[in-house]
Amino acid sequence: MANAAEHDVELRGVTKRFGSFVAVRDMSLIVEKGQFVCLLGPSGCGKTTTLRLVAGLEQADGGEIRIAGARVDDTPPWRRDVAMMFQDFALFPHMTVARQVGFGLEMLRRPKEEIRRRVAETLAAFEIGDLADRKPDTLSGGQKQRVALARALITRPRVLLLDEPIGSLDFSLREAVMLELKDVQRRAGISFVWVTHDQNEAFSLGDQVVVMNHARIEQTGTPEEIFERPRTRFVATFIQGHNVLDGTAASAEDGHVTVVTAVGRFVVPVRNGAAPASGAPVSFSIRAELLEDDPGLDHPNRLAATCHAIEYLGSVRRWDLRLADGRSVKLERSGRTRCRLAEGEAVLIGWRVEDGVLHIPAADAA
Amino acid sequence: MIDWRARERLVTWVLGAVTVGFLAYQWLPILTMALLSFTGPDGGTTFPMRGVSLFWYRELLRVQSIDDFKPPLGRSLVLALLCSATTAVLAVAAAQAMRARFRGNGIFFYLVLLGVMAPGLLVGFGMGLITRIVGVTPAWYTTTFAVHIVWTLPFGFLTMLAAFNRFDRRLEEAALTLRANPWTAFRRITLPLVLPGVIGAALFGFTLSFDEFARSFFTTGSEQTLPLVIYAQFDRQLQPTLYALGTTTTVVSLLAVGAALALVRLVRRRAVTGP
Amino acid sequence: MSTLRERSPRAYALALPAALWMIGALVLPTVFIGWVSLWTTRTFSVGNPLGFANYAKFFQRPAYVKVLTDTVEQTVLLMVITAILGYAIAYFLAVKVERPTVQLAFFLVLVIPFWTSALIRTIAWIPFLGVTGVINKVLIALRVVDQPVEAFLFSRTGITLAQVSFYTLLAAGPVVYTLRNIPPSLREAAYTLRAAPLAVFRRIVLPLTLPGIVIGQILVFLNVMADFATAQAIGGHKLAYLGNLVILLYDTGQLPFASVIAVLLMAAMLAGVAVLLKVVDIRRLGIS
Repeated sequence: MANAAEHDVELRGVTKRFGSFVAVRDMSLIVEKGQFVCLLGPSGCGKTTTLRLVAGLEQADGGEIRIAGARVDDTPPWRRDVAMMFQDFALFPHMTVARQVGFGLEMLRRPKEEIRRRVAETLAAFEIGDLADRKPDTLSGGQKQRVALARALITRPRVLLLDEPIGSLDFSLREAVMLELKDVQRRAGISFVWVTHDQNEAFSLGDQVVVMNHARIEQTGTPEEIFERPRTRFVATFIQGHNVLDGTAASAEDGHVTVVTAVGRFVVPVRNGAAPASGAPVSFSIRAELLEDDPGLDHPNRLAATCHAIEYLGSVRRWDLRLADGRSVKLERSGRTRCRLAEGEAVLIGWRVEDGVLHIPAADAA
Repeated sequence: MIDWRARERLVTWVLGAVTVGFLAYQWLPILTMALLSFTGPDGGTTFPMRGVSLFWYRELLRVQSIDDFKPPLGRSLVLALLCSATTAVLAVAAAQAMRARFRGNGIFFYLVLLGVMAPGLLVGFGMGLITRIVGVTPAWYTTTFAVHIVWTLPFGFLTMLAAFNRFDRRLEEAALTLRANPWTAFRRITLPLVLPGVIGAALFGFTLSFDEFARSFFTTGSEQTLPLVIYAQFDRQLQPTLYALGTTTTVVSLLAVGAALALVRLVRRRAVTGP
Repeated sequence: MSTLRERSPRAYALALPAALWMIGALVLPTVFIGWVSLWTTRTFSVGNPLGFANYAKFFQRPAYVKVLTDTVEQTVLLMVITAILGYAIAYFLAVKVERPTVQLAFFLVLVIPFWTSALIRTIAWIPFLGVTGVINKVLIALRVVDQPVEAFLFSRTGITLAQVSFYTLLAAGPVVYTLRNIPPSLREAAYTLRAAPLAVFRRIVLPLTLPGIVIGQILVFLNVMADFATAQAIGGHKLAYLGNLVILLYDTGQLPFASVIAVLLMAAMLAGVAVLLKVVDIRRLGIS
């Protein structure tokens, strides 16, 4: 195991309850030095609570939290080596931009001359030097964001925690701001922990993505790992682009298991641990882009469906196919590859055995 | 060094103790007065109570030559109702006018709010001066009424402004696009929805007038309102009748507030389920 | 667009009754007072010559000037007490109490007395303060004193005690409002910027609640300066403030003199409004 002092943040078995509601359950997570980690999940999954636990704004009911290797469970937020960006930016309305940005340094009791110098440097670095004497209510969303960022980073924290930081920006601005923030992170070399419910944000920004649901981690991995090999059923349904089928495990042999579903029998490779016992409920997924509309006879996985509708999404086309039991399966094509299905047509689709992904039950995840 | 969590908790406890202490400090005199009002016929105006009875309440109802409280009570009630209705109407009109942002509405706003800032003593005194010099006889239903409204209107005004603020004007616009004329739209759509605010304004008009004495002081003439009669008692030997009276008026005030709140709940529910 | 077009004549018509009422029943009497205060003769006529003789007479009488200074002293004392007490209560209610139902319950219990007559509440203090009153009985029972303390009733202490119970909420109310307008994320952001709770209070919360403090203090200021009932009921005839003086002079027919005092009170009122307009814009507090 790597030297513990190398980790910027470490959570071990952390639990947090609000009354009888468990917000975070037995969670363990490592943020490596200089890593960009995204906590991704639906509302209420515990991602924001996790962030606040690291910041010290909430107290854990169990487990350990470490920052730069040292335990911080008893350290209040103002003595932790972290900084935080809030969704509403939380700029102080009664202070000018210059005053605000220098606030953290004032709290650290740095000499006035040093504060003045560093504030000027930071404002210049974020290209907001001309806003120095303005008050927050006169700034645009994008400008507020830069001020919040400057304010947070000037204290050179170990970790920057971001709580859905671009959620309140105009759509057109988000892309640009995302890239800027990624750039800042790389240049500053500090780790970012970014909370979001938006998959696109998480995938384009994160070195590591942590998918959470119901107070637990469902899967941790790179964006490729999450997308190409979703571990649990939840991850497959939450991340766009997967078709999920449920059934019962039948025979297992040769590293593959046969799954019996209401619409047919399919062979799925077993990649994580032991094969499920015969009769156990099981689910697997197949990505929409990997479905073939003209399966050869060597595809043991075939499915009868009718084309219900075709969605044109610009660079991607999506076919909404209905199965015998009424359920929906999506098939995607992008670029020049075509699928010749027309609305109303009946079709046989299939996929290669190795493209199927078996899901382990949530209790064994992470 | 004390643990920071313990320190935060200590602060909470100290502030809480101060708040609860103040609560007791505020309520104890009222509760004591209410308790003492039930003292027996031989009881004085302080403890110990000699017996428990409704004697002093019955004393209130007795017709007396010098200190009959019933006519002033009647006058105060009528005046309060008058103020209630007038405040509601004027406040709705004024707040509705504010929505149109007419020129000079800033000055108008401060003009109305001036009523809160001007101490009752001054306003009453000024009105008393005018009546003396112009030769008009002051009376509770003319001069006192006028001066009471100066005090109650700003409260009603602010209440209505807040109510209109919460009101979604698109509902009115929808009514107008459905061929309703402005008055009908106001009557059928706006008014029912801001009714809680109107009730609030009416409530302010009632309670503020009912309890008001500084403004009544110079303006009522010979027929006094209840608070003035009470005030006159300060110079005399205090009797528990005063406590009984005080408890009664307090109960009346609280009943008015309760009635208003119940009415608001009723109106809100009807607004949702429909007539 | 609403049921009223912007700047339509109908708006003026709707605003007129209230405007006329305020002018007739508030502005006019005020002007009158100013005019009467300038009368130089004691006769009651409209054609009186005007001058500042009455003001000079007022400031030449040490007894009257003392009443003025007493009133100002009492007002400042109340302002200080209610500011601290009021802020503590407001902070507890708005920040420290988490559950909204508990907050509402506290708030109601604190505010309900305001729906009752101030006069009645003043009367209610009498059985508390007297020689045989509750406070003395408790003090004797707890053996803090042997003899009943006379200093409560008919004294400045008693008046102060009663006034604190009346006016603290005026100081606390606006502070509660401004405190609630501070989003929790502001305080949390300050924590993550290395500010300990005391620093957060001093640098973030206090400055942002300053408008609330000022409004509350002005309300207290206006009320205590003009208060006469408390002094009368609890102070008996031993103490007098400006309000009592006005009444005394009015009753004895010295109208111009009474007007002088009223004008001084009004001057204080206008000064308060001026301070208010400088420090905070009421209309931006979310009413318009």
